[in-house]
Amino acid sequence: MSYFLMILRDASMAFMVAVGFAVLLNTPRRVLWVAGVLGGLGHTLRFVLVHHQIGLIPATLVAATGIGLLGIVFSHRVHTPPVVFTMPACITMFPGLYAYRAMLGCIRITDLEMLKKEPVIVSMTVHYFVITASLLFALGIGICSGALLFRKRSPKSIFRQIF
Amino acid sequence: MMEDFSTSLAPHGQHDPASASRVADLLLEIGSTLLVSGAHCGRISRNLERVAERWGYHMELFITFTGLMVSIKNIARPEEQVARFRRCPLHGVHFGILTEISLLTWKIAEETLTIDEAEKRFAVIKQTSPYPRWAILLGVGFACAYLCILGGGDWANGGMAFMAAVSGMIVRQEFLKQRFNPMIAFILAAFTTGLIAGLDMIYQIGASPEKTLATSVLYLIPGVQLINCVIDLIEGHIPTAIARGVFAGFTLLCIAVGLALGILLLGIQHF
Repeated sequence: MSYFLMILRDASMAFMVAVGFAVLLNTPRRVLWVAGVLGGLGHTLRFVLVHHQIGLIPATLVAATGIGLLGIVFSHRVHTPPVVFTMPACITMFPGLYAYRAMLGCIRITDLEMLKKEPVIVSMTVHYFVITASLLFALGIGICSGALLFRKRSPKSIFRQIF
Repeated sequence: MMEDFSTSLAPHGQHDPASASRVADLLLEIGSTLLVSGAHCGRISRNLERVAERWGYHMELFITFTGLMVSIKNIARPEEQVARFRRCPLHGVHFGILTEISLLTWKIAEETLTIDEAEKRFAVIKQTSPYPRWAILLGVGFACAYLCILGGGDWANGGMAFMAAVSGMIVRQEFLKQRFNPMIAFILAAFTTGLIAGLDMIYQIGASPEKTLATSVLYLIPGVQLINCVIDLIEGHIPTAIARGVFAGFTLLCIAVGLALGILLLGIQHF
């Protein structure tokens, strides 16, 4: 598959994921598409960055920050608080696989025989746990980057300050 | 003329439609609804400050995870002050209500609404219904299926993730409807999802069955609480940040326990 097609596939899938989570979180129907677009853009940005040999955690931070900043612009357009669509957009990048492996590692550690055979399980579990926590924190920081960068009280006044 | 004279003389604004007690009640109603709908503390206090300022009150607010306390003082008549506390019902994320309340408080701040109208509109907003059940189930199913494919699974893995997520969500909704403890509902939902997604692992369906298990429980994650925890920490609302973090951490633990039970039942050697 060509690079361009892969990006397109990534974006459309992330769009669907973000819309699905937006429905779960009861985002109003008129802004469902915004959640999808932000999710698609954010996940694609991360995909491209990871493709160009940038680490997963910095790439996630950049993508989540992008979602957070774009969310402020969109929130002004559609008169909706940004969190309503940035949150489902960020869930597309939730570190499910690492969290799952950390959990599986915890189950394996309980078995002493297996642990003696493969002591590497402990370090792998800690590794996955730390990656999960870092990715979560990166998502959290990214999503509220707008408020952090501009030190204004509401997304509305941030928008007025820039434009 | 007589009426005007008497109202302006009335102590503590008894005839004033926006009396301190009424404003405090409205603030608590709005605040607790925002808190359970998934707003972080900064948003709650911004929204409430707009309302309090509109009717000329100075507000002090203390938010905890399970309730909030508001104390307001009339700026023009400092002897008129009220402090109230309200406990919150169970948390359930509803961004629709969040949006409508934000719009309502901006409208109140523009001074176009009387307190009667504001109360009436808020009562309507509170009744906003969530999406129909089939829409939530479809949303959950497709979200998990596409997450699975995004994570590196193929269409067969995605299909399994769809089925696992939808059945888990049905279990969760049914147990919540029977008023079971929400954490028990989390464990049972994760258990159901784990059992169905685990079949993928046992029969080696699709290209990477591991992805099915990893992504099909993601509909349960307390994403809003986790991210609100970080935002509250950054903005310095420590009590709520701790509570949200503990709540989210415990929810994650319950999901892991449910999934682990499912995996142990199917046999750990397959995983």
